[in-house]
Parts: sequence; C-alpha cells; structure tokens
Amino acid sequence: MSTMTDNFVPRRKKRITGRSIAILAFLAMCAAFFCIPLYVVIVTSFKTMDQIRLGEIFSLPVTWTLEPWREAWSEACSGIKCEGVSAGFFASLKILFPSLILSLSVSSVTGYALALWNVRWAGTFMFILFMCAFVPFQIIMIPMIILTGKIGVYGTIWGVAVVHAVLALPILTLIFRNFYKDIPGEIMQAAIMDSGSFWRIYREIILPMSANIFIVVLILQITSIWNDFLIGITFGGLNNKPMTVILANTVISATGESSYNVDMAAALLTAIPPLLIYFVLGKFFVQGITAGAIKG
Amino acid sequence: MKLNYTVAAAALMMPLSASAEELVGYHGWSTTSEISALRVLIDAFEAQGNTWVDLAIPHESESNLGLINLITGGNPPNIFVESNPGVYRDLMAMGYGQPVTDLFNDTGVTENLPDAVLQSITVDGEIMKIPTGIHIDGMIYYNLDVAEAAGVDPAGWTSVDDMLADFDKVAEAGYMPIAVGGQSFQVGYLFHALVAAVAGPDIYYRMYQDQPDPTVFDEPAIKEVIELVRTFSELADEGSMNRSWSETTNLVITGQALMHLHGDWMKGEWRAAGKVAGEDFGCINIPGTKALSVTVDAFGILGGVDDETLAAELAWATIVVDPVNTAAFSANKGSSPIRFDAPADALDICNTVVLDALQDPTKGVQNPFNISDGDWHNSIWDVMFNFWSDPTMTSDEAIEELKYSYDAVFG
Repeated sequence: MSTMTDNFVPRRKKRITGRSIAILAFLAMCAAFFCIPLYVVIVTSFKTMDQIRLGEIFSLPVTWTLEPWREAWSEACSGIKCEGVSAGFFASLKILFPSLILSLSVSSVTGYALALWNVRWAGTFMFILFMCAFVPFQIIMIPMIILTGKIGVYGTIWGVAVVHAVLALPILTLIFRNFYKDIPGEIMQAAIMDSGSFWRIYREIILPMSANIFIVVLILQITSIWNDFLIGITFGGLNNKPMTVILANTVISATGESSYNVDMAAALLTAIPPLLIYFVLGKFFVQGITAGAIKG
Repeated sequence: MKLNYTVAAAALMMPLSASAEELVGYHGWSTTSEISALRVLIDAFEAQGNTWVDLAIPHESESNLGLINLITGGNPPNIFVESNPGVYRDLMAMGYGQPVTDLFNDTGVTENLPDAVLQSITVDGEIMKIPTGIHIDGMIYYNLDVAEAAGVDPAGWTSVDDMLADFDKVAEAGYMPIAVGGQSFQVGYLFHALVAAVAGPDIYYRMYQDQPDPTVFDEPAIKEVIELVRTFSELADEGSMNRSWSETTNLVITGQALMHLHGDWMKGEWRAAGKVAGEDFGCINIPGTKALSVTVDAFGILGGVDDETLAAELAWATIVVDPVNTAAFSANKGSSPIRFDAPADALDICNTVVLDALQDPTKGVQNPFNISDGDWHNSIWDVMFNFWSDPTMTSDEAIEELKYSYDAVFG
C-alpha cells in the first residue's frame, strides 16, 4: 500500500487543453471505428428486406420488425435443416464444456508442475511449448486429422475437445506457470514437509489459490472455443456443428440471394454468449490479470 | 412375357436393394432457393427408400478443403457438390473417383446435354460430374419499368454499340444506365464474359486454357474488350467500390438503374424480391454475343464403395439428371436446366434465352475456373481490377501487364 501513496499525485484542475481535445478526438475515433459498423449491424437486423434493398445502410428502420431475429433463431437454413442458429447454440454448448474441462485441467496441472516442481528439462520443455504457440493451426491440421482419426475421436465432440485442449496448451500453460511461479517457495516447502503428494498439494493448496487465474483462462477459452469455426467444422463431424458453422451456412452464399437482416440478427445472436461472459466476469478478468502482473 | 417379368423384377429390385442405403451429401447450400432446389432431388431420392444425411458447409472458394479433410479423416461423403476438375483428378488418384460415363450414355443423358455442359463435366475423357444446373457468367438483367420510362428496348439491341448508344437516353431520363460493383470477382467475371461475347470462342480459348497462347494479347479484339471494361468503369456510380453483386442487382430491382451485366444467379435476388421474369424484368445475352461463358454446378459421387452404396449413388445421379427434376431444380435455384429436353412449361424466359443460345455448339465456352490454371486467371483478375480502379491506366498498359503476368506464371 505504501508504494501506492508514494506515487499518488493530486490531479490538477480540469482544464480543456489542446492535448485533452486531441485525446478525446482520438478516443472518439476509436469508439466510432467499432460503433459505426455495430450500429449498421443492429439497425439492419431490425429492417425489412424492402428497405435494405434501397441501400441506405445508415438510416433507421422505417418499420421496426423482430421477424429477422425470429427467423435467425429458429428458421434460417443450414443445409436442408431449417432450425436457425438455435440448433448450433446447443451444439456449441455441448462442445464448450468438454473442451473447457479438458484444456483447463491439462494446462493448469502442466503449469503447476513446471512452476513448482523440479521437472527435468523443464526449461527446454517450456521453450518448446512456447515455440508451439506460434505454429498456425492450418499447418498441423491435416496431421491432426489423421491422428484423431487413428485414436478414433475424429468426427465426435471429443475430437473437438482434444484439439482445443492441445492447441490451447502452450499459451494456457504459460499463463498458469507464470501465475504459480510467484507462489512463495516457503508454502511449497511447508506443504512437502507435511508429506503432501503432488496431487494433494495441487488439490488442497494450489487450486484454492487459483480462482483469479482460472477466471482469466476461462474467459479466454470460452471466447476462443465459442468463436472457433475451423476446428468445429473440421473435427466435429456430422452432428456437432457449432453455432459459427450454422452462422456461416446462413450468411455465406456465393451465388444465392442474401437476407441481410436475418444474417445480421444471426451474427448478433452468435456473438451474445461470449459478450455476456465478459460483462459478468469482466471485473474478475482485470483482477486476475493484474494479480499476476503485480506479484511478479 | 418372361422378359417383361425380369424387367419388372429388376425394376422392383433396384429401389429395394438401395432401400437400406444412407448416403451423406456434402454441399454448401443454405439459401431458400438453394434448399428448395435440393429438396426436389432429396424427396425423389428418399421416395425410393434411401436416406440423405445432410452435411452443409459453405465452400465457395475454389479449393474444397472440407472434402479433402473428410476423406483424410476417413469419413468421406458419398455425394458432394464440386465443380473443380482438379478435385476429381485427386479423387481418381486416391481411388475414390467414380465416373458416370456408362450410366449417362446408356440412359440417354449424354445426347441431350449441351456441348458446353458435356465438356464441363468430362474430366480426362470420363464423365465425372453430375450436372445440376447451368449458370451463364455474363447476362444482362434489366428492369422493364425503367426501360419503358427511359424509352429504350434492350431486347432490340444487336450489338454492344447499340447498348452504349441507348445509355445516354437512360441517363437523361434520370436513371443509372448500368449498375456495376467494383469487386475483383465481379470485374473478373465481366472481363471473361466480354472476351467470350465480343472477342469470340477462339480467342477465349487461346486466353483461358492450361497453356494460354501468348500471341492472343496482341489481338485487336482483346484491346477492344479492355476498352469496353474501361467504358463500364467510367459509368460506375460513387457507391460502386466494393459493392457486392447482390446489392448491385438491387439497384436494378429497386428501379435506380436500368441493367446489370453479371452472372445469371442474379435471378435469385429478383425472385427473393417477388419479381417475375418477363413481367418485372427481362433477360438478354450480351448483345451480339459470339459465345457465352458457362458455369456448370455439379455433384460428384464417391468411388471405392460397396455395391449397394454404389447403386444408391448411381440412383442419385439418375435423379439429378432426370429432365423433369433438372427443370424443377433449376426453377427453384434460379439456374437453367442441363438438358435440352427439359419440359418447356417449366422454363422461364431467361432459361429459354440460355438454352436457345446453347443449341449452337460453338456458342458455349467453359468458365475459366474449369479449364485454366488458378494462378493464371487470378492474375488476370488482378490486372483487370487494377485497370478498373486506376482511370489513368491505358488498355495498352493493361495488355503489357497481362503479358508480364503470363511470363510470371508460365515463363
């Protein structure tokens, strides 16, 4: 706390200066950069196609209609199944939980082992993991298809979960390791002295201390799993197509007619779940990130 | 009599033997028109006792990664929408190719196909693709109300010059003469459609093939086409940059512009807006056209399967090319039927324009994607789009660029 007060400088009286105008203008531009397209997406989703055909994308709907939203949720076609993006919503949930459990458990234990136990070749191992974080998925996709095919999970929920866990492993392990390595050595020594085993220390001491970092990783993973298209489409098989795939089917058409209002509503519906997670857990996210940062 | 019984028994056996078959169909169709078209075929297929397992993934790009992934993972689909001949060559090499040459020859399909279709579905001498519909890469769809208000009759145009001469009249009446979308895809399609229409099939095939003829760039007709592209780019309105084809078509549908020159899948937008061919809009080929570039959408079927599965796959192929089915499919999808003997009452005026033109075997040329190297037509797109976007670039400079690209790709 003392460092906080030392650095505290009373704020000067608010005056409008050239600099603050410049900052405000810059921030307004940044906000507009995201808000204008979002505005177009939102108003388009409430317009009728007749109005959209006229092309004035910035105008407000003449008649507000919820029809596109209803159609996007329950009627839009993905292939011959016309059940809207709602079908994908439940498939996405089915994919989300196994993928989350698998990726979080594997990477937190790996991070814990690498940070707090004397693992032989730990440095080399970390380095390799670190390098792996930079390998684009597309490069290793075909070998992974063959691998998952060989172990018999290709085309199932577990295939998707395994691939999500493996691909997230490098970066999540790094995050967990950096968090755990700041746990004082004395705690570990005391725990080992009390004859705690690897798993018992993890379960009874480390895990209860990890709420912050788990929330950070949870948010990162939920977002990336929910927004994923390529892994779901490649490894999910026939019946496990996530919401993004249904969305792509609804929206992408090379030579077919387009219903922009339904497309926009479907896109918004698909974006809502991760958005909600951010709103609900956002506070913890910042806490978790800064907790890691200050301790170092 | 005995023979008849055998035939009857065989006819009964066919659907029975296929009755347990469950085929996975892989496609990228999801819009209302696409789905209602596909439904025609699936209903006929399931009426025979088969089951269609739907696998829809959009694959509009030319490389169908999804299909290859499914095969690599050991879950290949039985039926797939695919037009790229390269994919069929790959499948053949992997032992998954299944020609339908004999089936089509024996059931009288081949003789009723337009030449352009037959060429397009044939890969290395075997019919590998099961054609679903014909799209023309460059047709003119125009708003009949606007034509009337401006006092022009597009159906009477006999040359591109006629068309351009009428544009002033349209502009004076307060309409945009032509709606264009400034995207490389649209400019690329406009260009090859014009090469076919204005320069003719010989020059077209010298330009678009595995090994293009480098002397083709010095043909005066190529220069003429490039200058025509310039004329169109000068007619573009302010909002044309990066406007999608569907929004561009909507300028015509809503009566702001007279016409749109683009692939005839435009029809889908007109129909979605509740407009009727011949009443609200007219369709013509590029005036004085020497050839039409033809895109043929097609299914492929998986080879290397057991006999029962193969019988069901071939039953699917038979259903797709049935004259009544192809007419119903095309009526829903907005394409034209792939057979000359499709029932006439199922055709709209646009289909008639297309099929009449294709009666002349020299008039149909194949879409560049089907016959030429991907790098080559991509670089043509780049050159033409740069030309479109840069008003200071001359047609001679564009020709130089084409030659330069040719050297880069084939040199």
